[in-house]
Amino acid sequence: MKAKIGVYICHCGSNIAKIVDCEAVREYISTLPEVAIARTYKYMCSNPGQDLIVQDIKEHGLQRVVVAACSPRMHERTFRAALQAAGLNPYMFEMANIREQCSWVHDDPQAATEKAKALAQAAVRRVVHHEALEQMTVDMCPNTLVIGAGIAGLTATLELAEAGQKVFLLEKQDHLGGNLARVDLTAPYLDSARDLLIERITRVRSSGNIELLLNSRLQQLQGYVGNFTATLSRTGHDGPGTGKIREIQVGNVIVCTGYREFAAERVTHFGYGKLPDVITSFDFEKMLQAGRIECCDGTIPKYAAIIHCVGSRSAEFHGYCSRVCCMTALKYVHEIKSAVPSCYVSDLYIDMHAFGKGHEDFYRRTSEVKTMFLMFGKGDHPIIRSAGPKDDCKMLIEVNEQLSGELIEIPADLVILMVGMEAQEDAMETARLVNISQDKEGWFIESHPKLDPVATTTDGIFIAGTCVAPKDIPDTVAQARAAAARILARIAKGKIAVDAVYAEISDDACSGCRICNELCPYSAIEYDDKKKRSHVISAMCKACGACVAACPSGAIKGRHFTDQQILAQIEGVLR
Amino acid sequence: MSFEPRILGILCNWCSYAGADLAGTSRIHYPPNVRIIRVMCSARVDPTFVVKALVSGADGVLICGCHPGDCHYSEGNYKTMRRIPLLKKVLKDFGIEDERVRLEWISASEGQRFADIVKDMTERIRVLGPSHVACELHADPRER
Repeated sequence: MKAKIGVYICHCGSNIAKIVDCEAVREYISTLPEVAIARTYKYMCSNPGQDLIVQDIKEHGLQRVVVAACSPRMHERTFRAALQAAGLNPYMFEMANIREQCSWVHDDPQAATEKAKALAQAAVRRVVHHEALEQMTVDMCPNTLVIGAGIAGLTATLELAEAGQKVFLLEKQDHLGGNLARVDLTAPYLDSARDLLIERITRVRSSGNIELLLNSRLQQLQGYVGNFTATLSRTGHDGPGTGKIREIQVGNVIVCTGYREFAAERVTHFGYGKLPDVITSFDFEKMLQAGRIECCDGTIPKYAAIIHCVGSRSAEFHGYCSRVCCMTALKYVHEIKSAVPSCYVSDLYIDMHAFGKGHEDFYRRTSEVKTMFLMFGKGDHPIIRSAGPKDDCKMLIEVNEQLSGELIEIPADLVILMVGMEAQEDAMETARLVNISQDKEGWFIESHPKLDPVATTTDGIFIAGTCVAPKDIPDTVAQARAAAARILARIAKGKIAVDAVYAEISDDACSGCRICNELCPYSAIEYDDKKKRSHVISAMCKACGACVAACPSGAIKGRHFTDQQILAQIEGVLR
Repeated sequence: MSFEPRILGILCNWCSYAGADLAGTSRIHYPPNVRIIRVMCSARVDPTFVVKALVSGADGVLICGCHPGDCHYSEGNYKTMRRIPLLKKVLKDFGIEDERVRLEWISASEGQRFADIVKDMTERIRVLGPSHVACELHADPRER
């Protein structure tokens, strides 16, 4: 019997339709013998768009569906669910990516339309060979591993533990609090970082559901969502339990490993490390925590200067904005003015980024406390030099001021460099251990930057806080709670569906050569000595397909990525 | 009419396909000559896929995976790294030029790199001309 396929071509508003002639694609696709219905619609992912598919499946008895729209990484799940709602197996579906890989990257409408036709045709050719697959469900281990005990890790841990779930909180250092423990007050409300942390730390320490593992690191993570085995080791030079290895069972992992500060000595032109009164924002936090603002010789500064964007927004170091430094700089103005009211404070910035709630107000209030704001150009930088014996200050700063257009010289006894955030030194090691990706700056990559910001492409691994990108405390806390909520929802269900995509070995075709046994990175292939055949433990298989491509007998089938399906797709896309 | 190469791209889901999607979301333009299919890992690329593409009219095949050490499946790309050069050796004996089959590593953040590689490969194959496999198997390969 001929397959009955429905094909849906999405305009995506004008995202696809302004370059691809969707109607021409529909006309072409309608001529293919297996295609029963072909339609175009403004937004296929919308509820009416999905309803269109559901209706057609019910009314016309469609057996397979193709949607030509955005990337399958975006909406494959959405449309699979629509098929399921209509009573069709979700694997009888294929997507053609005519947005990210067509309309958004090509400017010639004719060529883009031809390519869209080919991509849609390839999906039709492929879907003909799709098979109904049953999803497996596995038990969800209710324990969670949280890596990193800064504000993100503490928050996520409490959220889970106070909902009654067991949490292992892992911290490589010997204390809790992470980078926030190094901060005095927070912007813009000037409340104490210590207060924020102490409240959390007290609750963590008194909870019966939390196992705190200080001086500890993740050594290995094996298994899959719901059923991970984490191997932990104790670090430190000596003391009890050093080097001790321990294994724990967890269902999910939240990575909250935070950031490290940009090393100011990398910027040579500010003289950090040479001029003793040029310090970093973290050096200054230490001073504030100790309760005394002073120069290296113990005198109180008459002039203080704050320089923004050190290591951030530069072609040489990091192109990105570190997000928290502008407001932290304003916080310093307030802290200096309240400790040393006579101190003359200058703030040297490129752009004032006051994006968050209460930030613009804070900026206004800061300008009211007699601060000298000086704007310098991106790609330019102020020049610091030691003052002469006749000057009443230790240093002089020369700045090409942008708003006045003048070269201005200002006095300074203390210079604070606002150092940005960068990915942790061991971020790559962490990424590899838990099998997630990093972007070009080393930050961990989300499953989707807008719609799925705390999940990753590895199911069961979540990310929160500044290990994802620079962010402030409210955003970090929101992410930590979001990750915990995602996990709690899964624990509440008790079971989780794992993808029905895995490899299978045909007993009849297998020659027992065992080539595949060694190839599998997950040791998911076992050799049966009695039968002289290999077989796949489906729960352990992650469906990479390495064994499928290697089997000399063609005995291994990669479900949903069969040779037949891929070869049909190749033929279709090249026509 | 000038010769427009037809290139099949086989991209791994986790790094390279995501990288190609990023080129899209960043609106980085590249020639429409490449048509992409997705596999979970570059290690799934069976040599027959490349051969199939060449006999189906492809003038070139671009295989992309995660950078060595970054494979979503720990080490799949190391298998690809060994398989593809072997395949190219065999193809050379059939008169298929080295440049027609290309293996590249593209991470999820390298949208620009993906676009650059497609541009470069399209230009190189344009210079090379149509694949003789396609010409011999099909009377008029551009008319299919």
